[in-house]
Amino acid sequence: MATAVAKKKKVRINGCVAAAQAAKYADVDVITAYPIRPYTATMMALAQMVANGELDAEYIVADSEHSQLSIAHGASSSGARVFTGSSGVGVQFAYELYSPISGTRMPVQMMIADRTLDPPGDFGSEHTDALSARDMGWLMGWSCDAQEAFDNHLLGFRIGEDRRVLLPQMVCQDGFFVSHITTDVELPDTGQVQEFLPPYTHPYPLDPRRPVSHGPQIMPEQGPPLQLERARAMEGAVPVIEQAHDEFARIFGRRYDPWLEEFMTDGADVVFFVQGAHAVTARYAIRHMRERGAKVGLVRLKTIRPYPTDRVKDALSKFKVVGVIETNLGLGSVSSGGVLYAEACAALYESPTRPLVVSFMAGMGGEAIVLKEFYWMTNKMLDAQKRGAIEKRTHWVGFEE
Amino acid sequence: MPAIEIQRQMLPMFPSPNQGARFYNPELPETEPFVPGHRTCAGCGPSIQYRMTSKASGDNTILVGPTGCMYVANSSYLCTPYNVPWAHTQIGSSGSFTAGVAAAYEAMIRKGKWKGAFPNIICEAGDGSASDIGLASISGALYRNHDCLIICYDNEQYANTGIQASSRTPYGGMTTFSPPGPTIPEAKKLFPKDLARMMAAGHPHCYVATASVGYPIDLMNKVRKGLNHKGASYLMVYTPCQKGFVYETPRSIDLGRLVVECGLYPIWEWNPEKREFDYSFRPQNMRPVSEYLKLQGRFGHLHAEHIATLQKFANEQWRMMKVELPAALIRAADAKNLVDMASAEAAAAIAETV
Ligand SMILES: Cc1ncc(C[n+]2csc(CCOP(=O)(O)OP(=O)(O)O)c2C)c(N)n1
Ligand code: SF4
Ligand SMILES: [Mg+2]
Repeated sequence: MATAVAKKKKVRINGCVAAAQAAKYADVDVITAYPIRPYTATMMALAQMVANGELDAEYIVADSEHSQLSIAHGASSSGARVFTGSSGVGVQFAYELYSPISGTRMPVQMMIADRTLDPPGDFGSEHTDALSARDMGWLMGWSCDAQEAFDNHLLGFRIGEDRRVLLPQMVCQDGFFVSHITTDVELPDTGQVQEFLPPYTHPYPLDPRRPVSHGPQIMPEQGPPLQLERARAMEGAVPVIEQAHDEFARIFGRRYDPWLEEFMTDGADVVFFVQGAHAVTARYAIRHMRERGAKVGLVRLKTIRPYPTDRVKDALSKFKVVGVIETNLGLGSVSSGGVLYAEACAALYESPTRPLVVSFMAGMGGEAIVLKEFYWMTNKMLDAQKRGAIEKRTHWVGFEE
Repeated sequence: MPAIEIQRQMLPMFPSPNQGARFYNPELPETEPFVPGHRTCAGCGPSIQYRMTSKASGDNTILVGPTGCMYVANSSYLCTPYNVPWAHTQIGSSGSFTAGVAAAYEAMIRKGKWKGAFPNIICEAGDGSASDIGLASISGALYRNHDCLIICYDNEQYANTGIQASSRTPYGGMTTFSPPGPTIPEAKKLFPKDLARMMAAGHPHCYVATASVGYPIDLMNKVRKGLNHKGASYLMVYTPCQKGFVYETPRSIDLGRLVVECGLYPIWEWNPEKREFDYSFRPQNMRPVSEYLKLQGRFGHLHAEHIATLQKFANEQWRMMKVELPAALIRAADAKNLVDMASAEAAAAIAETV
């Protein structure tokens, strides 16, 4: 019962359904689900596809996210293509498994629709859930709309399963702003997907005909080579990611820069540095402000793991002031705000022309960042440009004059 | 493309004329999926179990090893004793990782991505994993009925972390988290979680059984029954640990029989077709619990009243198995007829070194 052959078509779906569609096009073998809003809608869609016979996969309702990720690990270790996902505290409940999955080099794919962590019980989108796992050896990046989400899921499988990479992927999208906003999405022809995404084969699966041992206990001195190998896999992913995006553009006709999107940065003095869906509102705000003469632009970080250090350095060095929009919580961090600031600053450290960098705590709790707030933040950046110094490292937007 | 039908294996039973006998010498398969040379202690009950279990299962097997002694001591320093595919998993992932392997094979065979008979998928979980941190994951695998066998090798403690009390540690058992002292003379005050019955009661569609390394053929046949059962099976095996129980290493198999003969480890099967327990297993002898306890340093601190409490517990187990109690065992449940363990101080000294 192979996936039904489909011709290219345009549909109106949200980010959750786009992710489910991508898993279907990738003909995944094992799906593991556990309910938590907002990502649940992805698993609901997949459950229906399996029930309808549109997709032949083992659909497992796990007893927790820890089990969800463990099932995914076991299935991927056996040679199956695996899809899972979560949101918020669910992402954290599974935390133990992130390092074992990347450490055994299993290209499990996980969809994350962000949700604020508890407390309080908040459905809004904050990126802290996924970002807390950013150093666990998973490829990671944010989509800003449903089409991009669909595309990033297919790209994720192709990149993660490449023998030069073999790493799991967290394909993230903002809860609500992407996960539950319906837009036009072009679904490809099945043949296009087959051309882009070869069948998954792991070099050393758990197969009784070729016995292997996965994950034995080691001596301390046997650890560093394995860690180095995992670090190299992450670095080695860079050219594979670029190649995959080229191939994607050739086959599907949509070309993305895998690392950064620049919007109205020509002649800009100050720029927002942002991940995910708030970039969509930012583009509107920037157009307005440009009309009023403010030299403001946008740089969107598309892939955070591996971090495109040199690209970020070169891109941000062109400006006078960079305003990082965090939408995540890094309590007690370098900026006493979010975690993106420190990485942007570190990337800029070697630049001979460092811009001023300021961090904006905006979109917290999953609030929309409204146009008025973008204007306010732009003014803060223009002030800093004028004075040649920032007023402070972190602004909690909406809590200051 | 139509779904490909999955072929499943049917392993024959070993002849076992007298299952509860103390001595017999059966013919065993030559295959050794679990080879010597690993770093478990001399006389390690869980390893003896591992060898028997994997012999019964054969070469078309995939083993899953959650963290515990059967992971750490077996697979030390990048060397492993497994001649079949084996994967480590997290201590709380015993049932879930195993379910993932089974699900992968269901899908891959059905979709024509893997060809061959469905493999025997066995998880070797310690009692800490099975009764505490991985309990939900195992219950999930049993409930969803993945075609796999989950074995709990029960050494009645967290051995690998240096002997700590688990939900399976018996009443009166000394561990580093349940030491005896003037305020708590009996050491562990709680009675063990009746894990195998929980599994049978909660997942009645599964084959569930208890076994002991003291009865290898019974154990191996239960492994095969569990594997032949289409769906999930759960097997709980008594596997003594000399490091934690503190006994002379050649006596592992002996303890495996004594624990059954004194009624502290009832051997039974849950029949999922008939939906009933089978209590027909009978050891050759019945003995008072003191005969089992006195061989182990972990019980050396017990006073007569504690031994009587354990005897009462054993007598209840016999009754549950519908076995009539001889007068001697009823007498042994009264502290007046018992003496303290003589070696209490010696045992405490040994325990310090654990
Ligand atoms: C999440 C987690 N918590 C704690 C540990 C520490 N730990 C390692 S081995 C072990 C003991 C396991 O006991 P059991 O399952 O009974 O197996 P045994 O060691 O007795 O063979 C523990 C608790 C761990 N590895 N992972
Ligand atoms: S401590 Fe016990 S379970 Fe662990 S290897 Fe030694 S005898 Fe076996
Ligand atoms: Mg144990």
